[in-house]
Amino acid sequence: MTRLAKIYLVAVLVFLYLPILVMMAMAFNRSALYEMPFTFDLVWFKALMENERLLQASWNSVWIAAVNAVIATALGTLAAYAFARYEFRLKGLLQLLLFPPITIPWLIIGISMLIFFFWVGIGRGLHAILLGHVALSLPYVIVVVGARLRDVSVQLEEAAATLGATPQQTFRRVTLPILAPGVIAAALFAFAVSFDQFVISYFLAAPGTSTLPVEIFTAIRKGFTPEINAISTIIILVSMSLMLLVARNYRFGGER
Amino acid sequence: MNKQSRQAWTIFGLTAPAYFWLTITVLLPLTAMLYFSFLTATPIGGKEASFTLKHYIGFFEKHIYRYNAWRSIQLGLFVTSICLMLAYPAALGLAKVIKGRWREAIFLLIILPFWSNALVRTFSWTMVLREPFDILYTYPAIVIGLVHAYLPYAILTIYVSLQSIDDSLIEASRSLGATRWQAFYRIMLPLSMPGVLAGIFLIFVPVIGSFMEPRILGGKQAIMLGPIIESQFTALNNWPLGAALSFIMLAIVLIILGISTPLIKPYLEKSS
Amino acid sequence: MSRVDVEGATKNYGPLKALDGVTIHFTDGEFFGLLGPSGSGKTTLLRAIAGFVELDTGAISFDGERVEAVPVHRRGIGMMFQSYALFPHLTVNENIAFGLDVRGTPRDEIAHRVQEMLTLVRLPGLGGRKPKQLSGGQQQRVALARALITRPKVLLLDEPLGALDRRLRQEMQVELREIQRETGITAIFVTHDQEEALTLSDRIAIINDGRLMQTGKPQEVYENPVSVFAAQFLGDSNILRGAAIDGGLRLADGTMIGTSGPCGGVAIVRPEKISVQGGLGAARGNALRGDVLQAVYTGASVTYRIRTAALGDVPLLAFAQNQTGELLSPGSAVTASWDAAHTVPVTP
Repeated sequence: MTRLAKIYLVAVLVFLYLPILVMMAMAFNRSALYEMPFTFDLVWFKALMENERLLQASWNSVWIAAVNAVIATALGTLAAYAFARYEFRLKGLLQLLLFPPITIPWLIIGISMLIFFFWVGIGRGLHAILLGHVALSLPYVIVVVGARLRDVSVQLEEAAATLGATPQQTFRRVTLPILAPGVIAAALFAFAVSFDQFVISYFLAAPGTSTLPVEIFTAIRKGFTPEINAISTIIILVSMSLMLLVARNYRFGGER
Repeated sequence: MNKQSRQAWTIFGLTAPAYFWLTITVLLPLTAMLYFSFLTATPIGGKEASFTLKHYIGFFEKHIYRYNAWRSIQLGLFVTSICLMLAYPAALGLAKVIKGRWREAIFLLIILPFWSNALVRTFSWTMVLREPFDILYTYPAIVIGLVHAYLPYAILTIYVSLQSIDDSLIEASRSLGATRWQAFYRIMLPLSMPGVLAGIFLIFVPVIGSFMEPRILGGKQAIMLGPIIESQFTALNNWPLGAALSFIMLAIVLIILGISTPLIKPYLEKSS
Repeated sequence: MSRVDVEGATKNYGPLKALDGVTIHFTDGEFFGLLGPSGSGKTTLLRAIAGFVELDTGAISFDGERVEAVPVHRRGIGMMFQSYALFPHLTVNENIAFGLDVRGTPRDEIAHRVQEMLTLVRLPGLGGRKPKQLSGGQQQRVALARALITRPKVLLLDEPLGALDRRLRQEMQVELREIQRETGITAIFVTHDQEEALTLSDRIAIINDGRLMQTGKPQEVYENPVSVFAAQFLGDSNILRGAAIDGGLRLADGTMIGTSGPCGGVAIVRPEKISVQGGLGAARGNALRGDVLQAVYTGASVTYRIRTAALGDVPLLAFAQNQTGELLSPGSAVTASWDAAHTVPVTP
């Protein structure tokens, strides 16, 4: 039985990773049209360095993701704290409201933001994209931090109070340090969500400036340039490393 | 200020920033979109627009929209069922057969692609599907791309729900005389239903709303509601129609989920 | 080291009366046990004294000064939690120093007093470790040191020994008591373990349904319970019900039972006060005759359950010291007798 399970799981893994590995391999292949034999070459990565558009878009993606991480983590942590420590009537409703961004198709969310932003004058552009990304990241941050908060038992905060610590001192010296791994995990998560986000960015991007996924999409639709392979390889490695960091941090960070 | 109202202010202060953000980025936009769907034309650049139901009516009158909606639903059903069928054995193997460090490692490996860039993953399929398989720009290509994208999700939800089933339940059933198949069918399967259902909800909805995968992998075969809606906002510049179609899509999703919930309730009750 | 007074404490959670007008006075320097079943309100009372629970009505004072409006962190209490609540991210030294740290105490004074504490709780040298590296008993002592270092007015303990195994528990009980005597601090602890309450306390209170059932020295409360509840919660008892007569009560079958005081028709007698003799001969004091239903050998003693005509379906419970190594077998006719002085009248 174990062998069967192992074989099946390996097959699933092959299915999941095959196209990615092929793409990464092609990024290092000199031929522009996937012709074999395989000759190792960094030509496409070099070409990437000269591609102004892609570089600008990469930079946009990175700083939006970073700012998004900071904002979403800050707002989300506060909200998660409220959910974990207090009972109040609206709580159920508020928790329900976290679902739309993740359950409604991003197509619809993106479109509605486009409509609304135009109407009220916010318009399109990087600032609009940032607004959208934070909204998407918030539910994830609240869930991740919320889970970690459950580990910071109320008794620890009560103990601190009995020892004479004011609520602020308690938060700074006890709650926050223990919460830290969860907050960091949430921030990395938010960064990844924003960095990889395509649909919302697509609708909210102004012509001329956009994020990396949007640029890649446009390039794919126009016709293929092998630099896409190179940048895609880089992106995938960045995303996956980020996620590995989250997994590590979340699992091993802090003791009970 | 007494303790009660101090507490209320604290709660408000903690939750307000996040929810204010969500209001202006999700709630108000959805409302705005609803309003838009009743306008005759995109009211931008000074254009006049008045109230109309024509977009909604158009959905029911024009065959093409209903055809596309049906194609989207079909796609959703296909992708969801294939995902579940492939995911269940994988989740089962991972939860009950593989043990120890391997389990964690394989689990992480399965989840990792899911949390990486969806666009890039879809793009990577264009290489493989072009040669040697040569099925790019076909319907099956779209299905493969979507299954690849959402399979980890299904494995995750089913795995989590299987994990929570105590091994001693299976052992108890075996000691009472059940064969392995019976133990699975009567105990494990019903108890894992919440995970399966979570998977269904989390896959079906995004698939119906997808447009990126159909466009990249399907080309002209991307005859679905998602791409049509998208084109209202890019090439065709008919925002009200796009808005109306979006709500229709939401309605379709809600109706389907609404119909299936009563069918699902008995399963959920059995397992709890 | 303070006196703590609680007057008329009431706390409702919706329809549930957690505390129903509890008045209780804790003397300076005593080790006081709050005993009661789960949900009795004992923990609510403790937490109200700590400041985590706000009373609906009633007053709490430390040394005569009212504290209900004082927030937890300014009450000057020390508290030990069932889960120890040691800060996982701080070392043992830092945990213990916490109370002084947040007050801005100078570094060298902190270091000095932490060492003092480690010695007091007998954990020298473990200062650099993290809580998760310590055993349950060691964590317990760190929690104690941490609570005592600030020289609080009163020490509150919430089922502190609940998580320990039997042997460790008994050791810790002894140490806790010694440390409390050494420091002279007023200690109030909550437990549902009656043995613990009897062993550790200078005085105990039995609480049930948010109300104070009985207060007094352990011996007093045990030998002279005032109610059926107190009699049954603390130790075992046989309940005797009948018609009240002068000097005692008369059971359903006519047997007369003498009591230690005026009786309203209900009295109890504890199993260890009853001697069991084979045969149906004469006996001094109160006596009931019947046959042995069950004889359980527990090493140092034998527990007899005896069916009597007087008590009907309810067996009489008796503990006999195992002086001869022989049991009276089930079915044999016996006489159970005890002193009227040990028959305590109680309210039903």
